[in-house]
Amino acid sequence: MEKINTENDLSLTIQELSNAYEELSLLYRISEVFSFLSVDEICSRIVSEAVTTIGVKTAAVLFLDEDGTKLCTETGIGSWDKKREFIRDSGILWKSIDSKRPSAFCKLKETEHRDYLPGLSSLMVCPIVGKLKTLGAVVVADKESEEEFYSKDSKLLMTIAAQAGLAIENAFLYNELEALLIGAIRSLVKALEASSQWTAGHTERVTEYAVGIGRVMGLESETVEKLKISALLHDIGKIATPKEILNKNCKLDELEWIEIKKHPGLGAEILEELKQFKDIILTIKYHHEHWDGERGIFGLKEEEIPFMARILAVADTFDALTSDRPYRKRKSKEDAIKEIVSCTGTQFDPEVVASFLKWAEHFSLQH
Amino acid sequence: MSKVIIIDDEPFILMMIEDKLKKANIDVVTLRESKNAVEIIKKEMPDLIILDWMMPELSGIELCRILKKDPDLLNIPIFMLTAKGQDSDEQLGLKCGVVRYITKPFSPKSLLEMVQETLGKDKY
Repeated sequence: MEKINTENDLSLTIQELSNAYEELSLLYRISEVFSFLSVDEICSRIVSEAVTTIGVKTAAVLFLDEDGTKLCTETGIGSWDKKREFIRDSGILWKSIDSKRPSAFCKLKETEHRDYLPGLSSLMVCPIVGKLKTLGAVVVADKESEEEFYSKDSKLLMTIAAQAGLAIENAFLYNELEALLIGAIRSLVKALEASSQWTAGHTERVTEYAVGIGRVMGLESETVEKLKISALLHDIGKIATPKEILNKNCKLDELEWIEIKKHPGLGAEILEELKQFKDIILTIKYHHEHWDGERGIFGLKEEEIPFMARILAVADTFDALTSDRPYRKRKSKEDAIKEIVSCTGTQFDPEVVASFLKWAEHFSLQH
Repeated sequence: MSKVIIIDDEPFILMMIEDKLKKANIDVVTLRESKNAVEIIKKEMPDLIILDWMMPELSGIELCRILKKDPDLLNIPIFMLTAKGQDSDEQLGLKCGVVRYITKPFSPKSLLEMVQETLGKDKY
């Protein structure tokens, strides 16, 4: 190995090490984006990392459209126009996408590119490549120091783009899987509702109400998602209830009620193989429990009843009261709300009812 | 010229921070061990101390506690550098009077900005 003996060489080596360390620290921080499953969150994190690490005033993430003919801005900060789109051409952004390599341009205002990206002095672009395909590009522009872009900046941008590619692709796959799951559940529910004329649309409405109440309660999006699946599946146990009972055109007798009351437990049994659905299964099992522990199916009370089940209970009752039944006419929304309020602390969790009322106010304005 | 003392048992970290700060016109003293640090700090009277948490003999957090009990030294701001990334560690660090808690690997560029911010604040 060549001996480093001058102070200058040493300083350069330290500088190199320092750059490598900067890159390492960036990798360490940006790997956090893998814990985000929302594409929006990932993109805003990428843009803010690019701004602080490379020291630029402007940064943006652009996505390639389905057929690969247009680049559209997904997130942008600084002087980047968020509506900016680039149809496939021979411009500098597309060159970088096609070559799958980063490119940097300085003194843009003095070159033929000035009209392509008006207002920017310097720019560096790096394609975002996933495992399966090119997803888009990350762009940084106008260094704080007014300097040009150097190779260390390009290395940092490549690090950001490489991590972004994997995280974004991951999030897309997750979203697709989720859509597939929800789609499959909706089909199942449609099949269930087709077997009873009285409950058509019930599931979708209960889902809308439960999610609405959950949002008012400030639940995290992951919990809201679970609540949505629970609501979609809450009556799945009725698959095992005799059709004659579900379709009966008059009041049910005591034995028939016993059959009906089996559906929360049956629903839980049907779903028990889905190990990832543990919370959802418990929500479904206990959605007919009463807050005070009286007259529920399993006799659970207060906090023993899963939180999402208490929300589902209110949403389910609100829809039942405002829908026609073979043995009674539907109530007006106002009367249904009054009835729910009158059951606060006995049938329903007071905290959920408080949020339900807030949601109902908003809901009646919309409908 | 402002003066910063850096104490870390990793020579590369010392070199890297020293280089970064010197280029920004900040006077730097580096120490590879913490055992005689208190005397050296008293002699040098720096405007800021950058301290590694995990060092043999005397840990950064112990040294920090000693400094905060010394009436001559307790007002010198301290940055704690550490590979300990847990929130509870950060809480402990901040409780001991650390003004900045920086997890390794850190960005040298951001560190310089934080140093400049802290030194600037004291001037006014």
